[in-house]
Amino acid sequence: MKKSFTVLALSFLLAGSLNAAGNDHRTMLMKDMRTMLDAMEEIQRGGLYSSTEDMKSGIKKLQSTLKTLESEEIKFILPKDQVYAYKFAQKSAHMLRLYSDDMIVSIDAGRMDEALEDYTQLLKQCTSCHIRIRNW
Amino acid sequence: MDRRNFLKVVAASATVMAVSPSMIRGNLYAADGTLFKAYDKVQLVDAAGKPIKASALAKEVTYIFNYPHASTPCMLINLPKGTSKEVELASENGEKYVWKSGVGKERSIVAYVAICTHQMTHPTPNDSFITYVPTTKKTMAYDKGGVIVCSSHLSAFDAGAGAKVLGGAATQPLNSVVLEHAADDTLWAVGILGSDKFQDYFKSFRPELKEFYGGPAEAKKLVSISAKTVKLTEYSKEIIQY
Repeated sequence: MKKSFTVLALSFLLAGSLNAAGNDHRTMLMKDMRTMLDAMEEIQRGGLYSSTEDMKSGIKKLQSTLKTLESEEIKFILPKDQVYAYKFAQKSAHMLRLYSDDMIVSIDAGRMDEALEDYTQLLKQCTSCHIRIRNW
Repeated sequence: MDRRNFLKVVAASATVMAVSPSMIRGNLYAADGTLFKAYDKVQLVDAAGKPIKASALAKEVTYIFNYPHASTPCMLINLPKGTSKEVELASENGEKYVWKSGVGKERSIVAYVAICTHQMTHPTPNDSFITYVPTTKKTMAYDKGGVIVCSSHLSAFDAGAGAKVLGGAATQPLNSVVLEHAADDTLWAVGILGSDKFQDYFKSFRPELKEFYGGPAEAKKLVSISAKTVKLTEYSKEIIQY
């Protein structure tokens, strides 16, 4: 009997901690998504006010959020019915990194039309992923 | 030239062009909006440079070759049965055009530009979210296999009917590669049918093309003489199919 209670208690503890971990991941994602939104706004503001500092600061902020999306942790973050599509989310994150890296190169080279094209592509990656993962 | 001879010349020219599209160079717009663009006639060869023989193509396997540009991937598939004939298709702008049929002994060999017409998902050396799904396999994009699926946003295209859209977000068929099957069983790409998005592709994927091809000029370079054709599993490290 005592053994059964111990097993039951341990199961509850394990389930609780897994649930907590899931919530932690989801909280982290929500935080990251808010940061991404801020980052995109900052890049856009920089582009519209001709401030390369703002653009670069936005890129830095954006790239700080990509680690989670690029990793296997993404599986714990996605909505349950979309976990299978984690490779798509990882690809989106990879493309965000590619375009944001290119944006820095374009800004440094003074090719602002290419930098703003990179911004367009960043936005497209965001919406593409939201259309898929959030079932728009 | 009298009227009778003139008509004979016109009829003979039309026959030559219908039988061998590679005789045409440049854009061809018919009165109904049909769009066909001829490029260099290019032979499909394997990784060792040996000509691909139509009869040696495995059934329901996706092969990839780059055409008409060095960076624009196309898929070659030998379908399990002959394709439909004279399929009427429409571009997203409403231009109508006709896809004639597959080639080869059984009319089962088809080739399409492997750039999804929705958001231009395409195979890269790293991964591919677009592939042909064999008849025995399942997909979330359509109720049965035997279709081309873009797993980015789950668009499905009819592989045996000019890549007509069967489902998903895509609004026009994949572009077709016009193939010629020669008497010695070799395969040749001669042009592209449909409203292509190559310029958008070059613009949108500039950083990626730089990474894989060295720069925009190299990526846009037109393929000539031959196109290396390999299985998708050899072209991309990972294939993602939902």
